[in-house]
Parts: sequence; structure tokens; C-alpha cells
Amino acid sequence: MAGRGLCRRRISAGVLAALLGLCLPADAQKTGRSAPDPAELAGRIDRYIEAGWKAAGAKPADLADDAEFLRRVCLDIAGRIPYVSEVRPFLDDPDPNKRRKAVEGLLASPGYVNHFANVFRSAWLPELETGGDLAFTAQGFDAWIRARLAENTPYNRMVRELLTVPVMTSRRQPAASPEGRMEATPIGFFLGKEGKPENLAAATARMFLGIRLECAQCHNHPTAQWKQEQFWSYAAFFAGLQMGNPLELREVPGQRELVIPNTQTVVGPVYLDGRLPDQRDRGNSRELLAEWITSRDNPFFARAAVNRLWEHFFGIGLVDPVDDMEPENPPSHPELLDELAAEFSASGFDLKFLIRAIVLSKTYQRSSVQTDTSQDDPRLFARMSLRGLTPEQIVDSLAVAVGIPSEPEPSTPFVLRPTLRSELLARFRGGTARRIETQTSILQALALMNGPLVSEATDLEKSRTLAAVVDAPFLDVRDKVETLFLAALSRRPTEAEAKRFVRYVESGGATGDPHKALADVFWVLLNSGEFLLNH
Amino acid sequence: MPKLLSRREWLRMQAAGAIGLSVSGWLEQLAAATATDPQRRRSCILLWMSGGPSQLDTWDLKPGHDNGGPFKPIATSVPGIQISEHLPKLAQQMKHLAIIRSMNTREADHGRATYLMRTGVMPTGPIQYPPLGSIVAKEKELPEDEIPGFVSIAPFRSLSPTAFQPGFLGPRYAPLIVGESFAVRPGDPAGLADLDKALKVQDLDLAPGVVREQADRRMELLDEMESRFLKQRPGVSSLSHRTAYEQALRMMRSQAVKAFDLEEEPASLRDAYGRNLFGQGCLLARRLVERGVPFVEVTLGGLAGAEALGWDTHVNNFPGVQALSNVLDPAFSTLITDLRDRGLLDTTLLIWMGEFGRTPRINNSQGRDHFANAWSVVLGGGGIRGGQVVGKTSPDGMEIAERPVTVHDLFATICLALGIDYNKKNMSNVGRPVKIVEKNPQPVTEILA
Repeated sequence: MAGRGLCRRRISAGVLAALLGLCLPADAQKTGRSAPDPAELAGRIDRYIEAGWKAAGAKPADLADDAEFLRRVCLDIAGRIPYVSEVRPFLDDPDPNKRRKAVEGLLASPGYVNHFANVFRSAWLPELETGGDLAFTAQGFDAWIRARLAENTPYNRMVRELLTVPVMTSRRQPAASPEGRMEATPIGFFLGKEGKPENLAAATARMFLGIRLECAQCHNHPTAQWKQEQFWSYAAFFAGLQMGNPLELREVPGQRELVIPNTQTVVGPVYLDGRLPDQRDRGNSRELLAEWITSRDNPFFARAAVNRLWEHFFGIGLVDPVDDMEPENPPSHPELLDELAAEFSASGFDLKFLIRAIVLSKTYQRSSVQTDTSQDDPRLFARMSLRGLTPEQIVDSLAVAVGIPSEPEPSTPFVLRPTLRSELLARFRGGTARRIETQTSILQALALMNGPLVSEATDLEKSRTLAAVVDAPFLDVRDKVETLFLAALSRRPTEAEAKRFVRYVESGGATGDPHKALADVFWVLLNSGEFLLNH
Repeated sequence: MPKLLSRREWLRMQAAGAIGLSVSGWLEQLAAATATDPQRRRSCILLWMSGGPSQLDTWDLKPGHDNGGPFKPIATSVPGIQISEHLPKLAQQMKHLAIIRSMNTREADHGRATYLMRTGVMPTGPIQYPPLGSIVAKEKELPEDEIPGFVSIAPFRSLSPTAFQPGFLGPRYAPLIVGESFAVRPGDPAGLADLDKALKVQDLDLAPGVVREQADRRMELLDEMESRFLKQRPGVSSLSHRTAYEQALRMMRSQAVKAFDLEEEPASLRDAYGRNLFGQGCLLARRLVERGVPFVEVTLGGLAGAEALGWDTHVNNFPGVQALSNVLDPAFSTLITDLRDRGLLDTTLLIWMGEFGRTPRINNSQGRDHFANAWSVVLGGGGIRGGQVVGKTSPDGMEIAERPVTVHDLFATICLALGIDYNKKNMSNVGRPVKIVEKNPQPVTEILA
């Protein structure tokens, strides 16, 4: 027994830690703000959600165990599953405060910046995912969003910066530096919307206010709240923008009026609450709009942001769909939404504060294992819904499991080949409206069953994780199986699983070769629904 | 005279290399046998015009009116029916086609209309309706099928992702998608070489070094893991994961996937369809239908492929529609003749439609905008009495003059042509049974064969 304990420590501290990369920072960074307290808000979240169960007669699922929690929170904050070198110490840590420590570690890690950069980019610049001419703006946009996330810039300031980014009158912008690197700028947002006032109106209303305004673009709907003139008056804040050839954006300063297409009606800028901008203020009209959108008094702004962040962590918004916050589509928990919005605003639009409050709640820490059918309504949040992973989460998690960094780093010779990465990303792109209803396609199944990445991951010559496990001299078969479980599923096997897989490996599997049989085990784990879904 | 091989037997033997392509006269014999085979399943090919094609510049021209634009009508092989001058080959196939010129669907937003025209229902409320492809796949499935019953070629899903998901019918009826996100500049030979690959199902072969027995044992172990996970965490995501693996495995072991090997076709036929994503997609559709796949859709969204909105001609409508017509005309017309030559046309329903039509009034940018009040859909092939026009629009194209057809009427007509009972109920995700077509439709019986 002593020998086994020794070897486990040896492996976690030695071979695997070295091969499988990062550890959680030893002393997690303390939160910068003194008030307000996220744990206190987490408690309030739980009280609202519990009231919902009572009203619906639902019985909540159990709380998630440490392994389920760590995997989930890693995926949600850092966009990847945890490394073996993170899982083992976490599971064995007796500190009752360890979940909070893990959250702080993740929020301070580069993974947070990576993942949320992907999340914001795909929400704000979905046009990039279809490729084409826009691709060159991605670098500048990424650099901008990463810098803001790394500084934990308040959300309202990020949005304001995006809306008011200077547009010059020069050709082809923004300019690349002599080294060919794009400067950090969110200009790609405007290029993605083709600089058109109507596209910008529709996009900003959806993204920052949770309002689907574009239905009013062509005509008045008898039942809808928004009228055609309101749409175009809102669009008029962008009236000065002009796009000539693709990616040549100009701005005519002071231009604040536009003609509703196919009519003679000229409209000037009006906020969606019906107020007019101050006529004496002759500044850039985008500044005036940004001021209104991001103002603390704007009833839509904080609610839309909070709802989107809730959707990020639960797969479904308090208002569903997230961009349809109309009176006829009420939230599942109206008071909770209001309170989160108020607290977010009071925190100075601090994203990390809101993230802490959500992930520290018992609601977020419910297991996804069903114990009662009353838990099946996802809007009750009585158990955690299964959620599909984003393409980046899948690829980055595969890389973690396999033991190769997926982002090129100068110091590491082994990286996921860029072509393989982009092919895999494409395979997992598209097709879902709600993440709690993500479906696996046949082609995705085939890519994981037979495709190059998993093949290499389960190739005794090429797989770093597998090679480390197979060759570890002090590991018995059970330890080896356990390490593969930790690498792929971030948990130890159950007793029954351990027995089944150990027997399989010891018998040599189909080929009579225990090493190949270990590769089979790894293949099975990487192909399981448990690997491919956030649970 | 020995009994003719059944089509299925023949395909199996051909796949196994037992029959060469040179057997003389086989095609005619086979076509005759196929056409008279009472057992033959009906199939459906949907040609999906993503973005909303202009009816005024394709099937319902308005010569002499300001709204008409520069395109001229031409005579077709059916006296009295005229269509666009840029669809000359289709004009020769008019006897197989019926034009409905009086669609009124009233929804002119891309996303919502895409959902409406693909499912037959507006996207409101909690029920997740399945698209037509999933409905037909379910109604026509047979236990021995090896390829999923719904294949979608070159779709652009972003407009309405849920309109490409199987809704309450469940993951088993999800589309198998090929050719997605594939773009090639017209006339680029290097890009065309990749086209064949884009239309294949990738990763069907076991990874190098993995032997069959090993793969079987892996699947056995995986199945145990999956059962446990699904039992603990029931839901559409876990169920769909398991279903996708089952279907993937079935395809890996199937001979039928040779349908995706377009290189087997003679170069002249491939040229006739058009060496582009849509043309080759139509050829693939024929090969799939030939192997009994009940529903295949091919999307035409742009010249290079991978474009959503080629038909969304708000600006410069006329060159845009003309260029797309040049892709559509050879592909669609060759599909008709090819199906006919193989005895498949009588059992294959053809549908041509987009999410809506376009405004008769030409806007200031020489474009046409979204219009859902009076537009055209074309049906043809199996179950349809071709060579006719149903419905009529006013001289300016703004209104329906005769025989308005709703989306429910259209879906009921499609069901009848395919031999599907549209009053049949399926259980929905909210626990309420839902008819395949709701709202007491009036099917367009005059175009049914």
C-alpha cells in the first residue's frame, strides 16, 4: 500500500505533471474588490431557484461531487477539461474552501482569457465563422478582446469602446504593423456588419439589449412592439458610416439622418426609449448611442448581459432565447434576473464578480445525474442540464486529454497542427440553437472514432498521455486505467468500471497486447458521451 | 430468360464487383424493372434555394410590366407555359413539372421563413417541429437501411439552425450532412478536385493500424459506458450521442456508402449536371435515391457554394439571378432526365423552393426585397401530374389572383404525392400528439397524378 501511495505521488508530481502541463496556481489570487460579496449573491440565487422548485413541486438533484464540479467549472471558465495534474490534487485536497480556490485560479489563468475571447467573438462577430475576407480582422479583434479580458475591464466600458472605435477616412483599415500584426481594435465588429446602419442597429440591439429589432426593419408587424420608424431612427445613430469596397469603412462626421429605404421618410436618431439625444451635443452620434446603451439607467443593458452570462453557465437563459427579452417572452425567474442585473451594475459591471456569484451558487453546483423526473424541465434548474461544447472547447479538451498544447507556444515542440485544428473546428461548428439541446452528428462521431486526432491520441507511438501511462514503470494496470480516466473524464473509475477495464487490459483485449488494450480503453473514454458533453 | 435481378441485388453485386459497367442493355432493363416494381419506396429530392429566389425572374415572369425587369419569357415543351429565358433546359422538361404560382406564406424574415418552409409551422411556442426531411425519413424508413433516411447536401444552417434539426422526432432522423462549408471559385480546377472529397462522408474507414476485431471490442466497451451515462443523464444530448455512434457504425459496415463515390459516374454525365457543388450534389442525390434513401436535399445558396444568400438579391437582382439560373438549369434538368433514364422518376418527388419569393417592385438598387405574399414553388416527378400551372398572380405580381396556396396546403400535397398520411400524429416534445400537417389543409389535388 505504501509503495502504491508513493508511486502515485511520484507520478502526479513527476512524469505526468511535467508532461501534462499546467497546475493551478498554488495560492489563488485574491479578489481585487472589497465589496460586494459574490458568495452572498450566490446564496440569493439559490433562494430564488429553490422557490421555483417549491412552486413547481420539483425535487432537486444532488450536489455535484468534486470531480463533476471541477470538470464543469474548468470547461465553463477556461474552455477546456482539467489536466490530470489539476484533477488529482483537487480531489485529494481536504480544504473545504477548495472549490472557491479553484474558481479563483481559473479566473486568473490564461484559459479564462482564451475562452471568453472565443465566447465574446462568436457572439459579437459570428460573421467570422463563415470565413472569407473578414478573417484578417480576427487578429485585431482577438487582440483587443483579450487585452480587455486580461485587465478585467468593466463590461460597460468594453461595449462603449467597441461602439465608439474611431473610424478613419483612410483606405483599408486598421493598418497592420510592419511585422504584419494587427493592432488591437474592435473595428472588425463594424466590418462584419458591412458598416450598414441597419445591420448595426439589429446587431447592437440583439447583443447589448436583448431586443430583436430587425423584424421591424421592413414593415410594421401588427403584434410586435417595435415599429419600422423606431428601427430606422435607432439605425440613424450609425448614419455616418459608409462602406465602399469590402473592408473600406469611412465615416462622415455629423451625418445623423437617413432615409428609410423605398420611402421618402427621413429620420434622425432617437433612442429606443423614445428620448432624443441632446441636440446641442454635436459629437459623434455613436458616442451618444454608446452613452445611452451602457448607462446604468438603461433597463435593457445589464439584464441582457446577465442573461447571456447565465446562459453561458447553464446552457439556457433566464430569458430564452437570450436575444428575445420582450414582455411576451418572460423570464423563468423575473426577480432573480432583476436582482442579478442590479448587482452587476452595482459592481461596476465586473464580469468576474458575476461569474463568481454564479459558479459559487448551489444551483450551478447541482449534479447532472437525474434522481427524479421533476428535474427534467431545464428552466427549473433542478439539475444541471447536459450542454454541448463549443468547437474550441472540444478541440482544446482533446488536446488536454491527449497531452499536447493546442495553442502554439514557442517553447513546446509538440502542438496540434493548425490544419488539423481548423478541420476539427469546422466539423463541430454550427447546427445548434440551444446548447442544452446539442446533438452529435454522424460525421462528428466518425471524426472521433476514426479521425486523425483520436487515432494519434490512441497510437502508442504518438500519444504522449498514453506513452506516459504505458511506460510508467511503477504503475499497475489499475493505476494506468485510473490515469486514463482522469485524463479523459476528469474522474476516477467506479469500482465496476475499474474491474471491467482492468480485466480487459490484462486479457490483452482483441489483439492479445495489453498495451494496445490500454489504447482501446483510452479510445473508449474519448468517444464517450461523458467526454463530449459538459455535464 | 432469367428473372431480372432486383435493383437492390443488382446494386449489391455491382458493389461487390460481380457486374461490370459494360453489361449491354442493363440500364434499360433495369429502368423498366424499377419503374414497374410495386415495392419501390417513394423518395423525395428537395432543391432548396437558400436566400429566397425571385419568382418574377424564374417561373412567373411579367413581361411588359414595370415590375417585370429585363428577362424575357420563353416557350416550354408544354404549350401555353412560359418560363425565364435563362432556364432553357428546364423548359424542355416542363411536362414533368407543375408550377404553383400562388404561394402565400406571409413570413418574410429569413430565419423564421426558413423554419416555416422547412417544417410547415411558424417558430413559436415550445414545440420543436421536425423538418420535412425528418418526417419523410421516419415515414419511409426500413429496418435494413444503412444510410440515414435524410441526407442534406451543402446546407447553410445559420439562418435557422433548428430547421436543420430533427425536432421532436429525435436524433435518429437528424440529417446526414455532406458538402457543408465547401466553397470553390467558379472555374478553379484545384478547388473542383476537392469537391468530390467534400461530398463524401469523411472518416468512414478504421484508423490505420486498427483491426476489425479490435474495433468491435472497443464498441462493446463504449456501449456499456454509453448505457450507463444515458441512464443517469437522460436527455436529447446524451441520446443523440449514442444514436450518432450507432448510425456511424452502421454506415462504416455498409456497402451502400458507395453512393458517395461520384467518380464512378461517366465524365459526360458529371459535366451535364455541372461541375459545381450544386450540380454534383444533384448527381449525388440521384445516387442516394437509387439506393433507397427516402429524402435528399440539395441547397443552392450561391455560385461558389457555402454562401447562404445568393438568391437574396436586394442589390443587382438580374445578374445575380441569371448566374444562379446558369447553375440551376443544367443541374435540375439533368436530374430529371437521369432519374427518368433509370426508371426512378415516377417514384421520386421533386420539390424546388426557397424560404420566400421577392418583391415585384424593383428597388433603387436594381434589386428585389423579401416577399412572401405571392410567390412560386415547383413540384415534379413522382406523384405529380406535370405540365401545368396552378394559381395565378396579378399583372403586377403583387397579389394572388387565383388559388392561394398556404404552407399547410403545400405540405399536405407533398405528403399525398409521397403516399404519407398527413393526419398521422407523432408525439411531440411537450407530450402532446401533433399531426404531420395541422390546420385542416386543402391539398392541391389538381396537380397530383
